[in-house]
Amino acid sequence: MADAATAVATTEMTVEMIKASQIGMKALGASIAVGSTGIATGLAEMAIGSAAVGATAENKDVFGLVLLLTVIPETIVIFGLVVALLLLF
Amino acid sequence: MFTPEGMTRVLIAATKSQMEPVIREMYRQHLFHIEEFVEKDKKEYEGYRIGTPLPQANETSRELLRLRGINNAFMIRDEEEETGERRKHAQLTELIERELPPLEQEVEDLLSRRSRLDSQIKEYEQKIDGLKPFNSVPFDLELLRDYQTFSVFCGYISRDLSLDIPHEIFTTESKKERFIVLVVSNQHRSIAEHALQNAQFQAVPLPEETGPATNRIGYYEGQVLSVKGEFEEINRRLEEIKKQHKAFFLACNELLTSDVEMAEAPLRFATTGESFIVEGWVPTKELDTFRQGIHYATGGKVYVYELDQSEVEDVAPTEYHNVSFAKPTELLMDTYSRPRYSELDPTLLVSIIFPIFFGIILGDVGYGIILLVLSLGLRKFITGDEGKRLLNVLRNASISSIIFGILFSECFGFALPWSSILFSRHLNIGGHAGGHGPDVTSLMMMAIWIGILQITLGRMLGMANHARQDHGSHRIKAVMANLGWIMVLWGILFMLWAAFPMPLMPDFTELPGVVMGLNLSSILGIVLILLGVIFIVRDSALEIVELPTILSHTLSYARLVGVGLSSVAIAMVVNFIAIGLIIEPQLESLTAFGVIVIIMGALVFVIGHLLNTILGMLGGGLQSLRLQYVEFFTKFYKGGGKKYTPFGMKKRFLED
Repeated sequence: MADAATAVATTEMTVEMIKASQIGMKALGASIAVGSTGIATGLAEMAIGSAAVGATAENKDVFGLVLLLTVIPETIVIFGLVVALLLLF
Repeated sequence: MFTPEGMTRVLIAATKSQMEPVIREMYRQHLFHIEEFVEKDKKEYEGYRIGTPLPQANETSRELLRLRGINNAFMIRDEEEETGERRKHAQLTELIERELPPLEQEVEDLLSRRSRLDSQIKEYEQKIDGLKPFNSVPFDLELLRDYQTFSVFCGYISRDLSLDIPHEIFTTESKKERFIVLVVSNQHRSIAEHALQNAQFQAVPLPEETGPATNRIGYYEGQVLSVKGEFEEINRRLEEIKKQHKAFFLACNELLTSDVEMAEAPLRFATTGESFIVEGWVPTKELDTFRQGIHYATGGKVYVYELDQSEVEDVAPTEYHNVSFAKPTELLMDTYSRPRYSELDPTLLVSIIFPIFFGIILGDVGYGIILLVLSLGLRKFITGDEGKRLLNVLRNASISSIIFGILFSECFGFALPWSSILFSRHLNIGGHAGGHGPDVTSLMMMAIWIGILQITLGRMLGMANHARQDHGSHRIKAVMANLGWIMVLWGILFMLWAAFPMPLMPDFTELPGVVMGLNLSSILGIVLILLGVIFIVRDSALEIVELPTILSHTLSYARLVGVGLSSVAIAMVVNFIAIGLIIEPQLESLTAFGVIVIIMGALVFVIGHLLNTILGMLGGGLQSLRLQYVEFFTKFYKGGGKKYTPFGMKKRFLED
């Protein structure tokens, strides 16, 4: 906040510019929320997914169970998405 | 409806002379789920041995094996075939003895001739391949071999060959490679070899043929043609036989399969020298039919005894008992795990909730109609039972998607003529949707409410399950623990309501404080949480680490909105790119080039929405399924039930 205040003081931004830059900051925050959680989900699902495919190849019956295990980390990115949506709207 | 089909444990005991009629009758009725007898040190089964197959088993299975070989060669799969006219059992038995053997002989002869011809064709083709490099060599092939003083090299080179020894060389070049035939005297052989190595020589074996290669290739090609003719002839004949006798083969297969299964049934019985015992399960409502059938078939010489549920150690097999609306959803249940016999069967609940969740995620009239058409259209091509069920699930889901599309006022991302009846999901992309953008907070709250209600329902079912399954003091503890989870969840809610005003939630912030600035709502919340934790700990202290899942599971329902909004966003972006950015600017001043651009825009529109439909189907399906499996089922459902597989088969090609 202090940085923002000094920035305003030094460059004499208009109110419109500040509003626009705030929207931009929100959008950046939202993108970080979705992007980083997406990567995290990907990393988590990587190992589970490959193990799941292996297990299914051995025994087809476990397909339902491993599908379930594979989508568990999905929650991370959903939370990211929720945060992003709440930020934007 | 919420419990599987009731089963009764039945024990049949009789003398061995009654074995065959009992097996036949059991097979005909297709009701008795056999519990296989295992030789172990059970007191009541002392001295019993596993039975031996009926005498005709060997011969019948040999016959069946032969028939299956033929069916395989014809690629006849009984599950894919339509049931035609049914045949009479006795008539078919006679036909199997009289007509099947010569027919099988003919087919086997044809097949072995065909495989002989096939290998002959391969042999000729190999020879042609070997001769091809020599195709443009103008001299007879026998002139290239059997020299005592000369060495002959045939093959490809990829660099220039430089030789300063006396030699004769024939070169022929194609686009890619250079083929040479080189003759040198034996004394220069090693020099020639060295030079060839430098030219990256790849040797080609000299075919054992006489005359020019072209002639030989022509000869072999003629041979291949004539053999192929014969091959086709055999195929035609086989096709004829298949067409003419397919129904017969299928009926034979069914008859022999059932004969073999019956003949091998004693392997699952407990027998002594003169008697046998078999235990199994019969649906309770069919018990009388079963009993009468056995009585009638054996003239009352068999002892059929109903065992008390408490007398048996094994758990009954599970057969779903659902209304026809919920039948397709059994597929989703089996994918997770079939319910245990003693457990509540949530199929009906899932069959209602799953389409609703799917609709909330993919609430779009356009996509809903595409999926509905897809689920109805694919019916012609997908014949299997599982596939049909999946299509029915998709049909229900897409109907729900259309309904929610009307409520959300969405069609391919465009707004319908009315404003959203539920909360708006229209985003401001490219300035297309006017208004105030999506009502995300209300949507989120709606999703959270759905979560709270479903989780509470899950815990209540958990209480019911424990009350049904457990015994003694553990029963009360387990039921109370589930109640404890509900109390903690609602306790947290009461505390939140007391602290923050939230849309779509009761607002208790205005309540007057009672003690220490806490109002009635927060005090109620604290009491509920404390009591709940005590109930949970009383059942299992370790469960305490699971407490945060109350929050994470409830918030997890936000995916209903999140995934849904992302699908709306993709649809709107596609519309903006295709119409706003590509098509509309061209329409202002139409040129010949503009028409092509417009067509491109239309293509972008179609492909974009196609992709989004697929994404929406996968996302909507998987996410709402996951909410059932992870957030809902973990509260009450164990699964792991045995499938009810009654002894016998559904006759499709034979009369009953």
